[in-house]
Amino acid sequence: MLTTAVQEELGVQERIARLEQLLGDPADPANPAGARALLAADERGELLPEAERLLDEFGLNAEFVPRDLGGRLDRVDTLGRVLRGVFRRDASLGLGYGATSFLAAVTVWAAGTAAQRRWTADLLLDGGRLAVAYHELAHGNDFVRNEFRARPAGSGFVLSGTKQVINNVERAEALVLFSRTGQEAGSRSHSVLLVDKSALPPDSIGYLPRYASVGVRGCRLGGVEFTDCPVPQSALVGEVGGGVELALRSFQITRSVVPSMVLGGGDTALRTAVGFALDRRLYNRAVLEIPHVRATLVGAFTDLLISDCLALAATRAVHLLPGQTSVYAAAVKYLLPKLLTEATYDLSIVLGANFYVRGGDYGAFQKHVRDLPMISLGHAGTAACQATIIPQLPRLARRAWSGGAGAPYALFRTRDPLPALRPELLVLASDGDALADSLVGAGETVRELARERAPEYADALGALAGQLEAELATLRAECLAMAPKDRTVLASPRSYALADRYALLLAGAACLGVWRSHRGDEGGFLTEPGWVAAAAARLVRRLGRPLPALPDGWEDRLLDEVLDRYHGPRSYDLYDTPIAG
Amino acid sequence: MESQTGRTVTVPSEREFRDWITRRLAEFLQRPAHTIEADVPFAEYGMDSVAALSLFGDIEEEYELFLEPTVAWDHPTVRALAHYLAQEAARELGTGEGAGA
Repeated sequence: MLTTAVQEELGVQERIARLEQLLGDPADPANPAGARALLAADERGELLPEAERLLDEFGLNAEFVPRDLGGRLDRVDTLGRVLRGVFRRDASLGLGYGATSFLAAVTVWAAGTAAQRRWTADLLLDGGRLAVAYHELAHGNDFVRNEFRARPAGSGFVLSGTKQVINNVERAEALVLFSRTGQEAGSRSHSVLLVDKSALPPDSIGYLPRYASVGVRGCRLGGVEFTDCPVPQSALVGEVGGGVELALRSFQITRSVVPSMVLGGGDTALRTAVGFALDRRLYNRAVLEIPHVRATLVGAFTDLLISDCLALAATRAVHLLPGQTSVYAAAVKYLLPKLLTEATYDLSIVLGANFYVRGGDYGAFQKHVRDLPMISLGHAGTAACQATIIPQLPRLARRAWSGGAGAPYALFRTRDPLPALRPELLVLASDGDALADSLVGAGETVRELARERAPEYADALGALAGQLEAELATLRAECLAMAPKDRTVLASPRSYALADRYALLLAGAACLGVWRSHRGDEGGFLTEPGWVAAAAARLVRRLGRPLPALPDGWEDRLLDEVLDRYHGPRSYDLYDTPIAG
Repeated sequence: MESQTGRTVTVPSEREFRDWITRRLAEFLQRPAHTIEADVPFAEYGMDSVAALSLFGDIEEEYELFLEPTVAWDHPTVRALAHYLAQEAARELGTGEGAGA
């Protein structure tokens, strides 16, 4: 008999298989939801109706609704994993059809009343949409100039002002609005309102012209203007003045999961470049025979694995380490877009002039290049994430990074169940750092484990883990000595460099954690030493520390994996999922 | 009375808290301490929500007072925060001395 854990995993696999089957092979020119049709829709600036219909049929919105409200949302890591299939085909679709609704709904799941949760769940399960306007909230200090107000009046509020650049604002049935409800400067003057558009007086709401955008051209980015618009008291989500706190709590979920979804776009970029390298001949040989090309493909694959390790730890931390997620979520939202952007740039060199072509077999690549910065910035840009990490570093240096129990293996297990999602447990400032703590002593423990699993890698892996451990010790000393002025938006560039190194260390800890926690007797790619050595080496190199030599054959082994998954076809991530093409 | 680390564990007065917060803000914001007024919200000096969250860690380190991360949101001026810290210190560190100073 199957255990509950196995059944849960099989259920996820079935859902992904069904989504793949519905959306079909992207490379098939006859597929109405394939790459050709998606590119054409992008050129027209619309979401592909056939693809939207298929996502309706799949019931994608149910992925955003908690299980106890009738949806399929149990786990944040699974949400990212399922949505990857959509983002692999088209980021506009991923964002415009769905993820935007989740970004909005998560505030309701975190702080809504039973009635608000029920109403939001029903709206989504009926195929409706929510849009969300965080405004400048992520950047914090511009609150003073925030013009959008919800003035308490009678038993409710009166809305006035403008909100700009909101995805789906016009076609969504409901809006989640971060609104100023107090006059005072500070972090207790904003509140979250859930507004049912159908209940508003028609002349009190108007829309601004759609914005043209560089990427995600299919998304309808618009603005909304309220003029003395009454909304009932029941629109309030959480407490009056609780808006900033609720936003920062919700961000811990959305910043963790959106980069995990976006990894799907990186998969397509790599897959497109591999296809090119296999098909194209240069100098009378296949492009794939050029050593630099092989190294680039293996490097991009390794970056995708690094990214997924960090995304895995961050999304699972929401469930397992809610007291520590604040800084992990910011680190993943900071580092993943950066790694993906750089990997994509390297891959573009493989494509050569084909990089510039907007149609044809390789057109998906340039669309990914345009879409990536849009989805990366989204609601939480790089600066906002750095601003979350930097002030926390001195306290983490004092409280953690020198021992402790390390991270539980459950944080890194790709297919294991998790405790229930409880957003109310998320705290605004991390109270510990089990992930970074897991690097303490890693030089020795990793060497020992490698001796058992793959002796030829023991020296290299031990040295790499030792470099990460040594870097953590250096970072700790520097963060303990950080001056107060270096913790604010006025911080010196040095602080930003510390945040960058910290994020790389978390990624290193996550890679080692994934390798360590998947046992040798389980078999499979994740227990092999080659990928984790390559991943750790890329991170150690980024940190500017000395690199040991890796055993011969590591690159060939990874290239074999890249080609195997191309022909499979199977996904370029930790899950090695069968895909439709 | 002194702890083993040499740190004085007498309860600081509200005045001492006010001076310390003002100095800390001056360092944070890189402006002279005398330009920071006791009744002007931190945010008006450009201290954003997330940076304000880090004040609680400073308080924890300096005074061994363990508070909510949002303490500087809920007591958003020098005067309000000093008053609250004096109360909390008196409660946590014992005597009640200093709370009304």
